[in-house]
Amino acid sequence: MAEIKNKTNLSCTVNGRASDNIVSDSLLLADFLRETLGLTGTKIGCDGGECGCCTVLIDNAPQHACLTLAAKCNGKAIETIESLSEESRLSAIQRGFNEKLGAQCGFCTPGMVMAAEGLLRTNPDPNEQEIRAGLASNICRCTGYVKIIEAVQSAADELKMSGQAL
Amino acid sequence: MNEIKPSQSIGIRKSLVDGPEKVSGKAKYSSDFMPIGCLVGRIFRSPVAHAEIIKVDIEEAKLLPGVKAVITGDETDEPFGILPIARFEFPLARDKVRYRGEPVACVAAIDVETAQKAIDLIKFKYKELPAYFTSKDAMAEGTVDLHDHRPRNIEREVDFELGEVDKGLSDADFVIEESFNCAEVCQVQSEPHAAIAEYDAEREFITVRASTQVPYYDHLMLAKVLKMDEAQIRVVKPFVGGGFGCRTESLNVTLICALVARAANGTVRLTVSREETFITHRGRPETDIEMQIGVKKDGTITAVDYTAIQRGGAYSGYGVVTILYSGGLLFGLYDLTAVRYKGFRVLTNTPPPGAMRGHGITNVRYAFEALLDKIATKLKIDAIEIRRKNLLKGPNYETLNEMFINSYGLPECLDWVEKESQWNQRKGKMGKFRGLGVACGHYISGASKPVNWTGEPHATVHLKLDWDGSITILTGAPEIGQGSSTMTTQCAAEVLGLDMSRFQIITSDSKLTPKDNGSYSSRVTYMVGNATIDAATNLKKILIEAAARKLDANPDDVECLGEYYSAGSQDEGLTFNEVVTAALEGTGTITVKGNFDTLPESWGTKKYRGGAVSGSMAYAYAAQVVEVSVDPDTAEIKVERVWAAQDVGKALNPLSVEGQIEGSVWMGMGQAISEGTLYHNGLGITNSMLDYRVPTIIESPPIEVGIIESIDPNGPFGAKEAGETSLIAFIPALTNAVADAIGVRPTDLPVTPDKLMELMEKNTNNAKSVT
Amino acid sequence: MEFMPNFKLYRPDNVDDAIKIKTEHAEARYVAGGTDMIVNVRRGIEQPQSLVDLTSISNMNDITEVDDGLQIGANVTLRNVRENQIIQQNYPCIAEAAGSVAGPTHQQYGTVGGNLCLDTRCLFYNQSEWWRQSNDYCLKERGDTCHVAPSGKRCFAAFSGDLAPSMLVYEAEINVVGPSGSRRIPLLELYRDDGMAHLTLGPGELVERVHLPMALAGDPSRYEKARIRGSIDFPLAGVAIRLRKGKGNAVEDVAIALTAVNPYPKIISGLQGLIDGNLGEDELDFIRDAVRKQSKPMRTTTVAPWYRRRVVGALARRLAAELSA
Repeated sequence: MAEIKNKTNLSCTVNGRASDNIVSDSLLLADFLRETLGLTGTKIGCDGGECGCCTVLIDNAPQHACLTLAAKCNGKAIETIESLSEESRLSAIQRGFNEKLGAQCGFCTPGMVMAAEGLLRTNPDPNEQEIRAGLASNICRCTGYVKIIEAVQSAADELKMSGQAL
Repeated sequence: MNEIKPSQSIGIRKSLVDGPEKVSGKAKYSSDFMPIGCLVGRIFRSPVAHAEIIKVDIEEAKLLPGVKAVITGDETDEPFGILPIARFEFPLARDKVRYRGEPVACVAAIDVETAQKAIDLIKFKYKELPAYFTSKDAMAEGTVDLHDHRPRNIEREVDFELGEVDKGLSDADFVIEESFNCAEVCQVQSEPHAAIAEYDAEREFITVRASTQVPYYDHLMLAKVLKMDEAQIRVVKPFVGGGFGCRTESLNVTLICALVARAANGTVRLTVSREETFITHRGRPETDIEMQIGVKKDGTITAVDYTAIQRGGAYSGYGVVTILYSGGLLFGLYDLTAVRYKGFRVLTNTPPPGAMRGHGITNVRYAFEALLDKIATKLKIDAIEIRRKNLLKGPNYETLNEMFINSYGLPECLDWVEKESQWNQRKGKMGKFRGLGVACGHYISGASKPVNWTGEPHATVHLKLDWDGSITILTGAPEIGQGSSTMTTQCAAEVLGLDMSRFQIITSDSKLTPKDNGSYSSRVTYMVGNATIDAATNLKKILIEAAARKLDANPDDVECLGEYYSAGSQDEGLTFNEVVTAALEGTGTITVKGNFDTLPESWGTKKYRGGAVSGSMAYAYAAQVVEVSVDPDTAEIKVERVWAAQDVGKALNPLSVEGQIEGSVWMGMGQAISEGTLYHNGLGITNSMLDYRVPTIIESPPIEVGIIESIDPNGPFGAKEAGETSLIAFIPALTNAVADAIGVRPTDLPVTPDKLMELMEKNTNNAKSVT
Repeated sequence: MEFMPNFKLYRPDNVDDAIKIKTEHAEARYVAGGTDMIVNVRRGIEQPQSLVDLTSISNMNDITEVDDGLQIGANVTLRNVRENQIIQQNYPCIAEAAGSVAGPTHQQYGTVGGNLCLDTRCLFYNQSEWWRQSNDYCLKERGDTCHVAPSGKRCFAAFSGDLAPSMLVYEAEINVVGPSGSRRIPLLELYRDDGMAHLTLGPGELVERVHLPMALAGDPSRYEKARIRGSIDFPLAGVAIRLRKGKGNAVEDVAIALTAVNPYPKIISGLQGLIDGNLGEDELDFIRDAVRKQSKPMRTTTVAPWYRRRVVGALARRLAAELSA
């Protein structure tokens, strides 16, 4: 038998929808999203805070879901990669990553895109240096980052042209 | 009316056909499958480096409520391994453990906590044996052999001389020699290893999904260790988060997952940690190289004499192939007339390396290009000129080891980097602590002889055409992020003149797709691309014949314009859908096949044992210039800019080719300046992404890519390798640039600031003692 | 699914409750952002029965200007320190240090209190449970040998927080609250020279806020750390320096503090001789050598200790030269 774990009520919003659950105190947000809610877009690529694959937004700020206890997210707004596509259309950042080949194997991509989302929400017109600084918690092993930088630049340009803000 | 033209797909920048899934989080990787009732697998690993197993006591663990199975080495006595000549590894250790972290037992339980508790209840009794963590220690007199059939722990010794080396060296005006050490490096692909196996006891059937580059080899090894009929096994490759070679052989994680699922009569997900992924290893071995090169005053190479020793870890893996590549692939880049090579692949009590990107040649090429640079400095010959001096005498060239070079864009690569980096204006005038370096590399486009030689074609692709007018590509070629599905779609679309949106692709499901050897040795574009062209050509023939019937014309007179078929300007012609209907009338849905075979002249040499390794249909070439600055206070190297030219034959998808070259250059940078494993008595110290330092976006340089197209005569639309060659060239280009910047030549990799500072201080002290 | 040990999470909304819970549960550990603590929990380095999360405590969230200086609540995130204009202007090396911690995502939720109380680090300690067990643990945790210095009975794990040295050069003080009330102590007194127990906090005590003195506000300063990569890495060696110049460019005040080269953040002593003089080559060499002499890096990282010692001196010299220019 599994031991009885300490539990907590967790009321938060996930991708804009209210979510009310009883979770164990030790449950990581990454596992809550992936295993409880089935939002497997959020990836786990390391043993804690070293790769950025699990990056999600919590109250607009990028955070590692693998180092965040789900129970600490009570009352918070959590956003994952699954929230970005509107009615199956890619968001500007997603389109940037798709068109500029910012994603090769795609495993770091959800975290990378969410970090970029967090960046563009606070700085809609970042220069190259600022893009690098904003994505520096995220490791990509395929691209050498060249096309990731282009992807974010292209998304920022698109948003600027269309007058949209994130 | 606009002129109707066939759609063009080749040579055009195309985003990936599976890109939208990746950027939207919909792409499912092995660890994303979690069917209801799925059990959690967890591995018990050896705490010691070398020991006889006395007992693996799992009785208590088995009795823990919630535990569905606990298995040990008793579960299977069938060993596995990629090379038929070297299968000595068991999914779970039997009799002996040979490295710290080797899997000893596996638990399947209802949840991760129970699984961990069961692991904690396993009692492992063993008798320790002497353990060897360096090649030197393992090869010494009087050591205990790791494997009975490998005396003195030599997995393979290679020894050949082609041409007259002693004469070459005595004819030389200068002979220069140096020792190099290259640290062991790992792929650190983004996705940790994972597998999910579903055992159907009713049918005695198992379905396995795994993070793999070689689903077919997994299929073979699963059948072997499970002792099941291949027909009772289905292997599916979901999305895979990179590989770079560490998944080019069956991994114990996959095999253990299947074994424990069968033992539990259920579905087991086995997702291992990043640390365990490091322990599973299969990266590039630590390599010690001693090399001598003889040259004439004008820079012409007269002979090369070298030894390479690879720390091969506890099991064979690809080891024999790696040590052979380290010899065979010295050829084919420059015109060499005399080469002597001695290679030792050594067994040690460390995790086994494998076939990492730039397999076998990367470290040897680093040594060669670094030495060549040193010679150029000594002879006061420009570093690009000395390379030009030694170029092959054009394409249609046969090397000493009987490699046939049919396309050779290296001269153009050198021209490109020379011009774009403003080499002639800037080299030697960069000021203090800043420098430029150049180096070259080459790599195969697929091994011409596969590891399992059964006489089947190298690649087979199916195309299914149905009444809806869409075409499904069925290929076993594993898409692992390199863009093979996009490449395949482009090839099929180009031949048929159709837009790529008419196609969908299904890859790597053993019950649906034709067998394919897998994504390794840069074989997929060349072989599967060619097979796809063949299949599409066959389909086109059927469509043209159907159109001819319908148009009452001679097939030779029917013109295929993709969405439109016509026979001369008079008739109205047929739309693609009308042609499809005509083609399927009477026969129903059709599936056509295309194959590709390599030519016997590409099968390598018989001049020495193992000479088939290095044989390839085509070789890609790279030249690179790297600009660095060195911080005089901290000895940190900053890569300022990289100019990377690669002869890829033909860039089928320039966007993808750029991505591959940029990624290669950058991965080379990791090996050059920051990456390397370290062990403490065989216990991996750097088994995390904190201590194993994959470069971040901050220190990653801008990379200018120059695509050179030599149009290989046998490549698909002239294409060849695009994803490995540029890694090889980067490393020596970097150390050569460092030498240019500070006058000191690093020989050991990675060139971390502590090592470089030591060299810089030695140099300053030497300078002082001279003056 | 990641393996996590079972524990009870408390989320008090005021300091008193936090202290009470912590005192009642001897095995409890405080946690703030969790960037380091949760990693250690996942690795079994920490096996708490209870975690007391401090981030719901609302009066520790602000950066406040007060008469005698600036107060920074322990829950203020590193990002907010990095971006705060008052800190950027008056205590620049603190903003710089905050911006150099790990990477930007870590800075979003890593806190001032967490960084100041960061556990010491060692490559024999920051490993998985399986790893440490296979290596017979270590002096710092469950074992009886220090693998760094096997003959000794001392732990040399290095303090690797970036903020501490940057605050020490501004003579920061901290408010420590505990079961017996609140006390204000120099930040320096938070630490001691023992890798096993480098914090002087008593049972139940926590760091509530940092005070930066008005008197030193506006003094020029710099922080720099040596690391292999431009992000994510902990410092191999870090140095903060504050240097105020007076008449004729002479040094009016100077302070230097180090991180990652000792079990505690180290203030460099013996710099009085520099006061009222100019920093020429000799003085800069003196600074470099003093820093090297007082740093004692051990084999706690994958990079050679001698390098860390060399580089921390070189960085100190360089920053001093920059500030005196």
